[in-house]
Amino acid sequence: MPDTPSTRRAFVADVGRAATVAWLSLQLPWLASLEGCAREDALKGAPYAGLTPGETEAMEAFAAQIFPSVHGAPGAVELGAVRFVDRALGEPFFAASVPVVRAGLADLDARARALSGGGKFASLAAGEQVAIVWQIEHGDFFKAARTLLLIGTFADPSYGGNQGGAGWAMIGIDHRPSYSAPFGYYDAQASAGSPRGAA
Amino acid sequence: MIQRTFSEGETVDFVVVGTGAAGGVLARELATAGFDVVAMEQGPWQHDSDFTHDELAVERQLAMLNRAFEPVQTFRTSAAEPARVTGARGLLYRRAVGGSSVHFAANYWRFRPVDFKERSRWGPIGGTAFADWPITYEELEPYYTKVDWQIGVSGAAGPFDPPRSRPYPLPPLPNKSSGVLLERGAQALGLHAQVAPMAILSQSRHGRAACQACGHCAYYGCEFGAKSSSLVTVIPEAVATGRCEIRTDSTVHRVDTNARGRATGVVYWDREGTERRQAARAVVLAANGAETARLLLLSASPAFPDGLANSSGAVGRHIMFNGAAYTNGRFEHPLNEYKGAVASRIVHDFYDADPARGFYGGGGIDARFPSGPIAFAVDGLPPDVPAWGPGFRQALGDYYTHTVRFMSHLTSLPVPGNAVTLDPDHPDRFGRPGLCLTYQDHPDDLMTKLWFVERTKELMEAAGATHVWNQPVLPVDGGVHLLGTARMGNDPRDSVVDRYHRAHDVPNLFICDGSSFVTSGRGQPTMTIQALAFRAAEHIGRFARSHAV
Repeated sequence: MPDTPSTRRAFVADVGRAATVAWLSLQLPWLASLEGCAREDALKGAPYAGLTPGETEAMEAFAAQIFPSVHGAPGAVELGAVRFVDRALGEPFFAASVPVVRAGLADLDARARALSGGGKFASLAAGEQVAIVWQIEHGDFFKAARTLLLIGTFADPSYGGNQGGAGWAMIGIDHRPSYSAPFGYYDAQASAGSPRGAA
Repeated sequence: MIQRTFSEGETVDFVVVGTGAAGGVLARELATAGFDVVAMEQGPWQHDSDFTHDELAVERQLAMLNRAFEPVQTFRTSAAEPARVTGARGLLYRRAVGGSSVHFAANYWRFRPVDFKERSRWGPIGGTAFADWPITYEELEPYYTKVDWQIGVSGAAGPFDPPRSRPYPLPPLPNKSSGVLLERGAQALGLHAQVAPMAILSQSRHGRAACQACGHCAYYGCEFGAKSSSLVTVIPEAVATGRCEIRTDSTVHRVDTNARGRATGVVYWDREGTERRQAARAVVLAANGAETARLLLLSASPAFPDGLANSSGAVGRHIMFNGAAYTNGRFEHPLNEYKGAVASRIVHDFYDADPARGFYGGGGIDARFPSGPIAFAVDGLPPDVPAWGPGFRQALGDYYTHTVRFMSHLTSLPVPGNAVTLDPDHPDRFGRPGLCLTYQDHPDDLMTKLWFVERTKELMEAAGATHVWNQPVLPVDGGVHLLGTARMGNDPRDSVVDRYHRAHDVPNLFICDGSSFVTSGRGQPTMTIQALAFRAAEHIGRFARSHAV
């Protein structure tokens, strides 16, 4: 979905509605529409719909601090979590987070400027970014943005994040539609010791 | 299956409001007994193929539950304070065919004899309407057995079980690592772990598939039809009689009564929002402890100024949710609790209340999967583990498959001020007053939770956990077990229905669901709700045949 004036207006309208729209209303149509948009955008590398380029940059840097890529294994950014957040913020279910996230991203850059004189959060050295995240880790932005990023990292891949289910694999989930016993170490051990098997 | 439908002008024998754990059974039993039945359901008729494993939609957005349809509820801790709009939780239930039996965890504990006569055994408790039930375990036992065999319950007898007239129809589901560890902890402490009875098929039965251990039971609908919900058991059987219509997307908002004080039918909004009426010789409410109370209160009339069947003032009052308390633990090796049914072993050594504890309360403990990956990443790790950065990433990998929760399911006391009431300031999309919950934990309920946290901590340590952490005990502001709001009793002055679920005030109005409970039991109410429904249907049918409704 292109970043046109009309989608911008829709996005801003959602911000305005945040105070009045009930938290769960209209969520069901969104699930269907989001799924389609996210898939399409991932394929096309389309521009972000809600976050400005500057905000996207700051969110990606923040995401890399929250759930970093380690030893070449993908982190939140590589799994598509920022793109998920971009889409999610345009939807009523997450509308209450929009002003918090937007102000928080601006605050990251403001803190970066204060620290380095003119720099952006995304341009800071890793250690400086860490220092700023320490400063804000008990605030509303940290909570809202971290939650959104983790949803993007671990939600069903059809939402655009957790690409290929790699987020699940990273925490040890062998993702399949069904399983059979034994499930884990202890029940396997117990059934091995029982003549009647896992029952 | 093509269902029988009734035309608008037709007066049916029974209209049943609700198609969940109780309503499904009542519809099936009354239709099977030869009566014409219309079962009214607020929500849609979904099927196995409509259900997903989508954690964002199901667990975070609660897409399966009432609040997706009716988002606003209010809460206060006493009638003296203004009600505030609640957040994500509140009074939770499913509005669709099968009701909350579709998304429940399927723990199917029977009550025990003591649950029905605990007031006599224990004595009065200040600030409560603690009372005996007007029925006994012995009277209900045949109906518990009927539930086991009718819907399909898997299990095996345990050391503390009440007497049963027939064994379980199905063997236990596989024991999980959590169950093995609960057994280990219990054995070390001289306690007794036993098989968790589950309303999930361990073997295929009556054309339904056995459990595929997909790990998505609680809050999810079963994609395989293995969970013995009303949706896949009693509802299709009711329809197959050719005498029952399940009328979906139909929101009942009033029970009509005539000048003689008898119920004449129900008034509802259809899916287009058009008001319609279904006339019936008798009305059966089985809409759950929140909706049944709301409907009675909304059905006030000059003859029933405080709400229908509410001369006692007990409608909506005494709501009980069952207390819950948790301890989490990490073990050296993977448990992979994301696979399999919710629980495979339970500990019932602390079921009875014990005066030596210094307060009233008891419960059972199970071992279960802590949460889906989103919930676990957001707030499932112990507090002393990093919440972001490389250490957080590492911890998610170290903990997710290695963590288990020992969860206590506890008594709640019936406090008269704890109530579901109408909130006209927060109407729903039809303009009908919304639900307001007034609730404050009884001190004994809080003490019970704190006491059980210590027991689960001991069990976790005895089982060999390498890291143990508790969930804080927080004040209750909602729940999924909605019990006690139209309680049974022999005395019309302090109860809403009699021992046969007939409203004291209205001879052809019957109420049977979680609202009928006099006390809360120990946390797994659905088995008892269904046993009550089988029993109620038998008596209601008997009354109808003898022209006594």
